This record gives sequence, C-alpha cells and structure tokens, in this order.
Amino acid sequence: MVEALPVRRVAWLTAAGLVAAIIGWPMIRLFGVAFERGIGTVLETLTGPQATAAIWNSLWTGAIVAVLAVASGTGAALLTERSALPGRRWLRAGLLLPLLVPPFVTAFGWARAFGPRGLTDQVLGVALPGMYGPLGIVVVLVVAATPISYLIVAGALASRVEPDLERAARASGATWPEALWTITLPLLRPALLSALVVAFVFAINAFGVPAVLGTPAGFATITTRLYQDLALSADPTAFVRATTMAATLVVVALVVVGSADALFVGRGAARTALPSGSGLTRGRRAVAAGLGAVIVLTTLLPLVALVLSALTRATGLDPVPANWTLDNFASALDSRFLGGLAHSLVLAVAAATVVLVLGAIGVAARHGRSRALGTAITLGFAVPGSALAVAVLLAYGGWLRDTLAIILVAYVAKFWALGHRQLAGSVERLPGDQVRAARASGAGAVDAFRSVVVPTLRPSVIAAWLVVFVFALHELTMSSLLYGPGNATLAVIVLNVQQLGDPTITAAMAVLLVGVVAIAAVPLAIAGFGREPANLRERVSP
Amino acid sequence: MTGAPVPAVSCRGVTIAYGATVVVSDLDLVVPRGEMLALLGPSGCGKTTILSALAGFLPISSGEIHVGGRAVAGAGRHLAPERRDVGVVFQGYALWPHLDALDTVAYPIRRRGVGVPEARNRATAILERLGIAQLAHRRPAELSGGEQQRVGLGRALAREASVYLFDEPTAHLDATLRDRLQLEIADHRLRSGAAAIYATHDTAEALAIADRVALLRAGRLIQEGSPTTVYERPIDLWAARLTGLASIVDIRILGAGTGADAGRIEVAGSSQTAVVATARQLPAGDVRAIVRPDWIRLGGTIPGRIETVAFRGAYTDYRLATPAGTIDLRAGGPPKAEAGETVGWSVDRLWIPAEPLEAANRAI
Repeated sequence: MVEALPVRRVAWLTAAGLVAAIIGWPMIRLFGVAFERGIGTVLETLTGPQATAAIWNSLWTGAIVAVLAVASGTGAALLTERSALPGRRWLRAGLLLPLLVPPFVTAFGWARAFGPRGLTDQVLGVALPGMYGPLGIVVVLVVAATPISYLIVAGALASRVEPDLERAARASGATWPEALWTITLPLLRPALLSALVVAFVFAINAFGVPAVLGTPAGFATITTRLYQDLALSADPTAFVRATTMAATLVVVALVVVGSADALFVGRGAARTALPSGSGLTRGRRAVAAGLGAVIVLTTLLPLVALVLSALTRATGLDPVPANWTLDNFASALDSRFLGGLAHSLVLAVAAATVVLVLGAIGVAARHGRSRALGTAITLGFAVPGSALAVAVLLAYGGWLRDTLAIILVAYVAKFWALGHRQLAGSVERLPGDQVRAARASGAGAVDAFRSVVVPTLRPSVIAAWLVVFVFALHELTMSSLLYGPGNATLAVIVLNVQQLGDPTITAAMAVLLVGVVAIAAVPLAIAGFGREPANLRERVSP
Repeated sequence: MTGAPVPAVSCRGVTIAYGATVVVSDLDLVVPRGEMLALLGPSGCGKTTILSALAGFLPISSGEIHVGGRAVAGAGRHLAPERRDVGVVFQGYALWPHLDALDTVAYPIRRRGVGVPEARNRATAILERLGIAQLAHRRPAELSGGEQQRVGLGRALAREASVYLFDEPTAHLDATLRDRLQLEIADHRLRSGAAAIYATHDTAEALAIADRVALLRAGRLIQEGSPTTVYERPIDLWAARLTGLASIVDIRILGAGTGADAGRIEVAGSSQTAVVATARQLPAGDVRAIVRPDWIRLGGTIPGRIETVAFRGAYTDYRLATPAGTIDLRAGGPPKAEAGETVGWSVDRLWIPAEPLEAANRAI
C-alpha cells in the first residue's frame, strides 16, 4: 500500500488537469469574453429586445414544462411502482421510450402527427392548434422530460419509500389519497425537487424542439437565439449577444441546480420487484389501459406519423398503401447522410471510450479531495449544451475550429459526469469484504481484482459506455453550433434538411436516425429488462 | 344475534395467488375475540401473505374473510385496509422517517377525525403505557430496533382495532428484547380484549405466547391446536419437527391398546411402561412412534451409544444411536456422559400419529 499514494496523486493531478482543460478553461473564456466589455454592455445586451424576449420565453416555458413533467412523471411512477397494473413491464418500457428518440425528432413527429396537414388532420380533420409555437414546444418538452422525472421519482419510491410505510398508513386508517399526501409525498420531497430542477434545466437547455416548433412561428428561446446569432449570422453584435446569453444560460442553470449533485438523485433507479398492494386494488385494468393509451398517443403515434410521412410519396397525399414508396429512404440515404452517420458513429465511440478512461482516472483519484473533483465534473453536465459549445468554441476554436475534435471536446465535457458517476458509484457499492474474502481464499491482489472486481464492475462499465454512446449518437445542440463544412453530425444533417422544408425526406432521415439509435440501445434495453427480479416467492413470503 | 359469539376473524376457503402461483390455498381459520393465534411455519410458507390479505394489502382469489363479523374480502368485495378493523405491526417496523414517535402514534387517531392536541394526548398515554414517553420527539433514525418496534406497536394499538396482526415483530430483535416485547404484547392484548394473529417461524416464541397455534406448510394449514396439543400430538413428522426436536423410534406394543394412554411396550427388546398417545386404533405389534427429547431419560435398560453431546447451560442435549433408531435426548444439568460411551435409557411417553411414519430414522 506504500506505492498506492503516488499512483493516487498522479491520477488526481491528471484528472484535475483534464477538468481544468476541458471544463474550467472554456468556462473562464466564456465569462471572460462575455464580460470583457464591462458589465454595462452585458446588461445592455440582456435588456435588448431580442435577448429579453428569448430569455423570458425560455424561463416561462421551462417552468411550465418542469411542473407538468414532474406531475406526469410522478403520477406514472406511482401507478407503475405501486399498483399491480397488468403489463407493467411494457408500460415501464413505453414510459422510457422517449429517452431513445432525440427530442427534435419527437417534435417533428408531433408536427407530423397532430400539426396542420399532419396525420390526425388528414384522417380526422383535427389538428392541435398552436402546434407551432409555445404550446407545441411545452407539450413536446413535457413528453420528452417525463421519462427523466419518472426515473427519478420511481427510483426514490424504490429506495426511500418502502411499500410497508404506505401500508402502515393504510392500516392506520388513512385512505389512498391521505397516505399519498401524508406519507409518500413528504418522503419523496427531495426527489420531487431534484426532478423539478432537472426538468427545468432540460427544458431551458433544449434546442431541437424550439428550433423545429418555435422558429417557424417566430418564437425564440435562448438556445435558438444563440444558434441564429452564432451559426447563421456574421454580425459582430450578434456574436457578443451569443456569448452573453450563453453566460446567462450557465448562470441560470447553475443557480437553479445549486448543488450540481441534485442532477443525479435518481440515477440507477432500483425497482420494486412486486406490486406492493399499497396502491390501486381495483380498476387496474382500466388504469393500465389509460396509461398505455397515453403512451401510444404521445410517443408511438408521432413515430408512426413519421414512418407514414417517410413512406408517402409526397406531402399532402393520404398515407394509404397506394401512395407508399421507398423513394424517400433512397433519397435520404445520400452521401451527406452517410457522412453524417460516419461522423456521429466516430464521435460516439470516441466520446464513450474517452469518458470511460476519464472515469477510471477519476475513480483512481478518489478519496480525500475527490469531492471537489466530482462536483467540477458534474458541473460540465449541468452547463447547458449551447453554452458549453460556445465556451469550447471560445477556448479551442483557434486551432480546432471546424474539426470533429472540437465536438469531441464538448461531448467529453458534457458526458464525463455520466461515466464518472457510474464507475465511482459501482466501486463504492463494491463491498470491501468481497475483495478481502477473495484474498482470504488465496487469491493474490491481481487475481482478486480479475476474479472479483472486474466481473462486478463489468455491467456498469458496459452500461456507462452505452449510455454515453447513445446520447452522443443523437446529440444535436452542441454539434449544431460546432460543426464545420463537411463534418456535420447525423442530427445536424436531419435538422438542416428539416429546415429546408422537405417533410418526407426529413421524415425518412428521422426514421433512419431513430433506427440507428434504437439498434445501439437494444443492449441497454435488454440490461434494463433483465434486471426485473424473476423470483416471485422471495417477496411473497417473509 | 343469537348462538355463538361473532369471532374476531374468520377465513373460509381463502386462496391467494400471484398470477398463476398459488401462495395460500383453501385456508379455513377462525380466531375468537380475546385469543392470540400464532401462525407458525418456515420462511416462505405464506404467513406474511395471509396477514397481508387480512389487512387488505392483497386481494384474495377465492373464499371470504370476515373481520369483527363484517365481510371484508370475497365474492367480488375488497375492503381497503383503512376500512377494516385491523391494526398491523410490521416486521421491518415500517416507521415513517419524517414523523417522530408521538406523531406516528397519533397518526391513526388523527385519521379518525380527532384534533391534533387531543390525538397527541392520547398518543402520549399510549407511549407512557409502553414505557417510551421519553422518546416522543425522536424520529426513527434516532431510535434503536427495540424502541422502533415499540413505537410500531404503539401505532397499531392506537388504531383500537378488533384484531391485531403481528408479522414476525421480534425477528430483528435480540433474545432479551424479544422476551420483554412478547410480554408487553400479551399484556396489552389482555387489557384490550382484542384478538391477535402472530406470524412467526420461531417455535419457542409461538408456543410461549399463543393461546392456539396454527401450523402452515407451503400455504396450507396442516394443524391447529393449543401449544401443548401441537407439541404433544403433531399430525405428522413434519409438524413434529416444526414444533421442536423429534425422533422416531421403533417399538412393539405388548397387548392391545385402543388409544390407551398408558401401556406396556418393548423397545429394542427391553420392556418399558410409557404413556402411548395415539390418533389411531392400535393393534399389538411393531409400530413407529415419535418421541420428544424431554420424553426420554438417561438411565434404564434400553442400550444406546452417545454420538454427540451439546451442553446448553440449563440442560444438555445428547444424540444416541440405538437399535430402535437415532434419538435426541435432553436432560437437565451439565453433561453426565461423553460421546462414544454406551449408556442405558428409558422412555416415558410416545406419540403415534394417524398416518404411519416412514422409516426416516434420522433425527434432526
């Protein structure tokens, strides 16, 4: 153990240096550039008409999205975790499905399903008024953010609120709503708070959804304003405005997050093995059917609408087999798309691998000063993607501009926390006695590591790699600000085609994008499904 | 209301299943007011499931349950837990982390519509009765296991129910605390006159605390009776071993006995006089019987070789290999013989269940 100290110190210094380079320096540059003309210019920029409207729009839509997403996520979690709903597994999978679909694809799917000249308009003559504009943005963001708050609340229900606590309330004479109000919700309070924070940050961070549904209606948010100022404008005042708003976004996110650790409360949500009987005892079939219908309507129907759009020869034609064609897919699979796919795959593999290596260094550096390190790493995750992209551009744009490398730096800064948390968490959960037992059974240090530690960590290492891979594969916000000629990512190419206004080709590309992500996510889904404890008897009896 | 008084709990033909897995089948159980019934069975036999169904946490698949004369489950009816006249003490305590002891015990009183000050007064009285008034303002995290269990007991008592359900309430407590808590439970039950159902896998606890014991095997009720009945007259070897140590001996009945309570028998060629209790007609001849370790004595004419000796303080357990089978024997005081020695022994009492015993000559 004597030589362990220098190893740890080297690891810590390495990790600290990387944090400074990848997260710290870009942030310093961002605030440096934003404030270099003095606080007066900053205030002037922020109070300018365009900036004010965008900031205000982001804040109020974010607040509404946060409240609604937490309400729906909590409701869904209480139903699936506390009642013996038929088809619980499928309901859970359906509730998490939106996580696999890039939000801007969900937005586009909603527009194709419920918007003007969408599926319901064509078939029933009914379209959702205000699809393009704040209403559509809020609705789609709620759909996209619900699985996140669902995961947080379901995890807290499993770990903080034992079903027996609710049963005890019922056996003390409390009705179902009384038990919910006096026992369950008070115990869930920290999780609800953190779900609110995460959903709010998710919403103000969102770029794809307001880009698809807001921009055509002239409704700007901080992120779409940033994109217009930075990517589409050569005006120097636009650049100043972009950096100022990026800094504002960082401040808002960090103020709301407070302790960056709040972002990870629900991670690794454990699940209750069996319905507890503390929830609904009757009408479960109807409730399950209702929940299933909501999932179909909000998540599956938009995807179906996308597929139908992609299959239909031209926009405006009825989506009937007579009008079906595969030509859109053939047109979609052009060299740009394949190039984007290649770029995204390279970036996703690189980001996932680098993040794992960094996570391992972080684990090696843990103990003592690791708290500061962990918080700094989490900071990278809390900073909205648009702002992070601007910061990375300011820090490294000089020599990495228009390369895939600068996108990779931003991805690593953003996703480092995922790998770090996953690895650190599973190392902490590894009971020291297991390693000691291996040693006491005659295994050497290396042998014990190989035979006990590695098999224990393998699932979480694989899961961390896959999560980063999937996120990076459909990432849009940062790559839309950082890509250069000839190295756009898949999501950027789909968004660009969408903004050129060809719905059928866009739909075909979106379907392909979701398909690629879905293939990558299959192992994740299997891991999640397999975690369901199969042993019934264990829970049934004492 | 004429005839027999309404029992506190009655279950008729209750079957409970999770999907296709039947956990409790065809349970018939009646608990009169004022009685403490122990549900005794190994882990996984369905004790907790039965309590959950009584409390209303689980629906039943068929049959019906009455509590205090009122149908609470069965025939398409499922009364919610709060509408049943039932108090529950949980195995894992199930105390609410955000409430202190006083508010925890006041909780059921508040649910009956009593105002906060009055509910707290009554809760304080209950805490005093349980000797934990000084813990009123502590939350579960600041209480020891025994204190937590006492608060849980107080919460159940505050419900003023007609039946209390105890789900292995002492499972996590050490032996001393367990004994004290058992006395408290018995004491409070006597005062309230309510019935209680006490699930446990601990034989000594069940025999000590209950008026009546129900033996459960794989979701089926296999025997019920007073503690002495289930100990002295177990229906089969499995029931015998659930209720304590039991060995099988081969004996020969000398002279016909018809359920005789005393008789001449021969064990391994040695003639003995012993109480032969039986549940069937006994012809003269060879038969297998169950003996308890306290029904056998060291000293006598039946030969045996001591295999193991275990000193347990107040008594000593011996295992003997004998021509009539391997037997467990318990005698007061410190060891009087060593392993390997050949000794003589005699038998005072035997039990012959209705079904013939198989040649399972291994004592446990």
